[in-house]
Amino acid sequence: MSERKLFGITVLFHTPDEIIHAASKVREAGYKNYDVHTPYPLHGMDAAMNLKPSKLGYITLAFGLFGAAFALLFMYWAMSIDYPMIIGGKPFFALPAFIPITFEVTVLLATLATVISMLAFFFKFPFNSHPLHDTPYMKAVSSDKYGICIEADDVLFDLEKVKALYKELNGQNITEIYSSVVEPFKIFEPKFLTLLTLVALLTSGATYITLNKLLYITPFDWLMNQSRVNVQSKSTFYADGFGMRKPVEGSVARNFIPYEYMGLIAPVVPLSNTLIPSNDILSLGKKRFLTFCSPCHGNYGDGDSRLNNQFPNPPSLHSEKVRGWQDGNIYHVIVNGQNVMPSYASQLSRDERWAVIHYIRVLQKAKNASPSEIIEAKKEILSNVAK
Amino acid sequence: MSQNDLVYQKKNLPDSLKRLGYLLLVIGLALGVAGFLFDAQRALFNYLLAFIFIMSIAVGSLFLVALEYIAGAEWSTPIRRVPEFLASFSPILIILVIPLLLNVHSIFEWSHKDIVAGDKILTGKSPYLNTTFFIGRTLFSIGVWSLFYFLFVRNSRKQDVTKDQLLTKKNIKLSAIFIPLFAITITISAIDWMMSLEPHWFSTIFGVYFFAGSVVAALAAVTLATVLLKEKGFLHPKMNNEHLFSLGALQFTFINFWAYIAFSQFMLIWYANLPEETYWFIGRWGGIWSYVSIGLIFVHFIVPYAVLLSQPAKMDQKKLKFISIWILCARVIDLYWLIMPQVHSAKAGVLTIFFEFGFLIAAVGGFLLVFYFNAKKHNLVPVGDPKLEKGLNFRL
Amino acid sequence: MNIDYSQELPVIERRISLAEIDRLISKPLDEKPDKKFFIALSITGTLLLIGVISISYLFLYGTGVWGLNQPVGWAFDITNFVFWVGIGHAGTLISAILYLLRQKWRTGIARFAEAMTIFAVMCAGIFPIIHMGRPWLAGYLMPYPNQHGLWVNFTSPLVWDVFAVSTYFTVSLVFWYVGLIPDFGLLRDRTASTLKKSIYSIFSLGWRNSHRNWQHYEKAYMLLAGFATPLVLSVHTIVSFDFAVSIIPGWHTTIFPPYFVAGAIFSGFAMVVTVLIFVRKVFDLQHIITLNHLDKMNKIILATSMMVGYAYGMEFFIAWYSGNPSEQFVFINRAFGPYAWAYWIMVTCNVLIPQLFWFKKIRTTIPIMLVIVIFVNVGMWFERFVITVTSLHRDFLPSSWGYFVPSIFDLGTLIGSFGLFFTLVLLFTKTLPVVAMSELKAVAEGAQPSHNGGKH
Repeated sequence: MSERKLFGITVLFHTPDEIIHAASKVREAGYKNYDVHTPYPLHGMDAAMNLKPSKLGYITLAFGLFGAAFALLFMYWAMSIDYPMIIGGKPFFALPAFIPITFEVTVLLATLATVISMLAFFFKFPFNSHPLHDTPYMKAVSSDKYGICIEADDVLFDLEKVKALYKELNGQNITEIYSSVVEPFKIFEPKFLTLLTLVALLTSGATYITLNKLLYITPFDWLMNQSRVNVQSKSTFYADGFGMRKPVEGSVARNFIPYEYMGLIAPVVPLSNTLIPSNDILSLGKKRFLTFCSPCHGNYGDGDSRLNNQFPNPPSLHSEKVRGWQDGNIYHVIVNGQNVMPSYASQLSRDERWAVIHYIRVLQKAKNASPSEIIEAKKEILSNVAK
Repeated sequence: MSQNDLVYQKKNLPDSLKRLGYLLLVIGLALGVAGFLFDAQRALFNYLLAFIFIMSIAVGSLFLVALEYIAGAEWSTPIRRVPEFLASFSPILIILVIPLLLNVHSIFEWSHKDIVAGDKILTGKSPYLNTTFFIGRTLFSIGVWSLFYFLFVRNSRKQDVTKDQLLTKKNIKLSAIFIPLFAITITISAIDWMMSLEPHWFSTIFGVYFFAGSVVAALAAVTLATVLLKEKGFLHPKMNNEHLFSLGALQFTFINFWAYIAFSQFMLIWYANLPEETYWFIGRWGGIWSYVSIGLIFVHFIVPYAVLLSQPAKMDQKKLKFISIWILCARVIDLYWLIMPQVHSAKAGVLTIFFEFGFLIAAVGGFLLVFYFNAKKHNLVPVGDPKLEKGLNFRL
Repeated sequence: MNIDYSQELPVIERRISLAEIDRLISKPLDEKPDKKFFIALSITGTLLLIGVISISYLFLYGTGVWGLNQPVGWAFDITNFVFWVGIGHAGTLISAILYLLRQKWRTGIARFAEAMTIFAVMCAGIFPIIHMGRPWLAGYLMPYPNQHGLWVNFTSPLVWDVFAVSTYFTVSLVFWYVGLIPDFGLLRDRTASTLKKSIYSIFSLGWRNSHRNWQHYEKAYMLLAGFATPLVLSVHTIVSFDFAVSIIPGWHTTIFPPYFVAGAIFSGFAMVVTVLIFVRKVFDLQHIITLNHLDKMNKIILATSMMVGYAYGMEFFIAWYSGNPSEQFVFINRAFGPYAWAYWIMVTCNVLIPQLFWFKKIRTTIPIMLVIVIFVNVGMWFERFVITVTSLHRDFLPSSWGYFVPSIFDLGTLIGSFGLFFTLVLLFTKTLPVVAMSELKAVAEGAQPSHNGGKH
């Protein structure tokens, strides 16, 4: 019993007028740590207690503005930067269409911030262990009485003086309130450990059942069981029991038109280039040439391999023979291979082969131009620059 | 109950007000009429603008009076005379409308028989959009407003003397009848005077848009007058900040309401992107008009919103005065934005003509005079109203 | 009957002490539920069960079990959704807007209306989720960083709906709970049972009736009311955008936002009156929820009925005025086409019948009032049905016109939503105080200091 500390002294009043009067008297007496308890908010009590206006509005304003800015910027980022998509012919940053969500997020954040900060920071709730709880005083003030409690930690607090003040104000039921002794919370208490174990079991059990059982029952199994024949699986529908069908004889896969001179030494009628050289085509050709051709043929087609004789060096692409070839002949070599050179059909698509051929022609021209041609070319470049 | 030192004493408004009113009226009319010499078409539209400005304040105030009765509001009883005085322009509208009715042909495209005959859509609308029916509707609307104005005001003034509670009951009943009629007449006015300027365009919310703007303007005018009168001590001495707060809060609400309606209209037309609707907004986007359109959002919504947001601001007399004048200007810009593109869509740009606001200056002068003469004859506080005592003791 | 306009009508009829308020309102919580309660609960529980069965069946077999067809791809689901969201609006209106307007009479009905808001929004929330093909993937509607690198389409009105309805639900719940905290404190101090006491203690968070708390509490309540008011408008506005941003004639019209909001308040008030008529009788609250309150609510019903009527008229007029043949056809088809029956039910129930409320006698006679408000509920359900179905069933392409007939699963889900709503209402009346006790005390006679405590 000796550990119980005096928390404060309470007094009750019967009418709102009395409590307003009493509160202003208590304030005038200079007490700071006191509180008035009423079953409902009383008009005029703010003035009687000389309370400053609530600062809650600033929190609301700050979070409201934050919500608006956050929502708007986020939608701007998501719809205009991260994954821009034209929807309904609207601009990426479709401001009018962002207003509804901006508004909703503003309201949501502002209200939640207001309420949470009020409860957690202004009231310091939850606070069920307050000494005033479970007292006849609290029961009275939550029903129909009006009370004042001057707390013992006030600098001016003096048991007799406070009681005298209360008596002077004509207060009823003057009571001393003691705070109960708080026992330190023990982590290793068996009850608490049992609870923890139960929660752990329940959580893991529920997780297991959800992820391993629940999601595999109809209708959640829509990814596993679909009413179609899976690749490489059996089928009872066809007589041969195969689920997959062979394509019709002579079917050609898209973009896989077969090369008709495959295996021949030279094409009977060389094909002609299907592409018109342009900057894009030439840069594609260059890229593919440097990736697939240059290791053996060298960066400029001189046949100076980077492979340091691990592999026989190919002849130069600048020989009279190659320069005299039609595009179709080079194409034939790329697709078919020649001597030690294997087929590059699987590395290069049709268009890429033709692009590489254009690039080879560029290299050939560059290496073998006559002086007069160089002068012509320089003139052309200069005139282009002048323009 | 009422203490003797706090009883309302009737005072006449100063004569300087009358002089100022006449001065503004004369200058304004001179400027406006001079405008006709330079650009008659434009001057006519300026007159139309001023007419609608007056109409929205007068009729909006009448609505506020009816609203007080029907809602049983008490806080506004001590200042009810202010909207009553402002509404006294309603019967005058019948004179003001004459120049417009004489010039229907110069204002409305649909009044041109040859254009209508060659346009299938306008032919389809001609049972509604024709000069005879148009004049009939206008006279009907103004008639309804004037009739109810006389009835409300007669009962209210009689009560000053008789203190008869039955008169309040009568006015409540009148308000109940007036408000549906008001909804119809103000919609008709909005469609006739503004929407049909661009006869192909249509929007179902347009009547509500005009209503919102009118109430905002009327509230601004009421607030401005109340604050000025209170400062100079013409109102009941027991009037306090909380009356002003209610006015401020109501203004704040209707500013939001206006923005809500304006946004709804724009958003739906913008989103659906149907050419028969969007061209109206596109016409308000060419040249300098885009600045007017964007500016309207700031002038008519964001600035008043920011100013009136905080609680103390709604009671602050200075801020209320400032924002009321601001809102009245915003109303002019709103109407300008609604009406004027019809005159200069071809020129694609706002020409700041010196004479542009002549009729509006005259309108301000007119309101001052109306106020002065009303205040001379009648109490500025409805002393006989049974709700007055409660209204004066109003606490939040 | 002459009213004295210089006197205020008391919010609570006859003088009643504060302790008596406590006793009266917490009576249903202190007593064990009687037989009648269980009979009522079993009826609503049956309705709820019908809904559960319908929805389970839907989940198993997909939306094909509904009566939807090619032109009418949206019918009962959206109709019910809009209907229930609309019902929800009255609660926030009463608790927030009337609070801001300082209408003291709201205290008697605010708590109940707020509860109805929450329950109605719960009912509404079911429909958008079940109308998705795979409702268990509803989480995809939230914008979260996912493995697809995709975001939801923030310009889609359906995503606005997700934000609006979830915000509305959260804010209503918070608003309601904030209002309940002082009452939990009171219940905690009143009860004798230890179990109840610990439950109430947890929810009261240790409320102490301290004026230092009341001060912030009142401020917060006002801020919340200030936010809830535009929120309630925004929610039904966004619901109306679901329709109005499209280009379907009959859906695309600019008056939809305020028209939907007015309709929502209209239907919500009708539902609140319907339920309150029973509550005030059963729980003996006639002098707390007075005839005067019902009279005022009926006036609001009358006013909103005329607003809705204005919108009907305006839509019709502008459809003609627009000169757009598709627009004109839709409205003629509504009134005289295959769904004319639905249209005229709507007009009769929403515009014509509520006009009876012009008479004070009718506004204050309980049986007639009950019949009228039920008609309003029916009419407002049909309004949403008419908007959705009649606009869809005959659109631009006559070759794909159709007619929608609901299946039993459509009806079962609708019945189920009513079951859910009324079950929750019944449980609410027995678990929480149906009237906000602390608020009611604050407006009781003699509850406030007489000389205004020197304020100002």
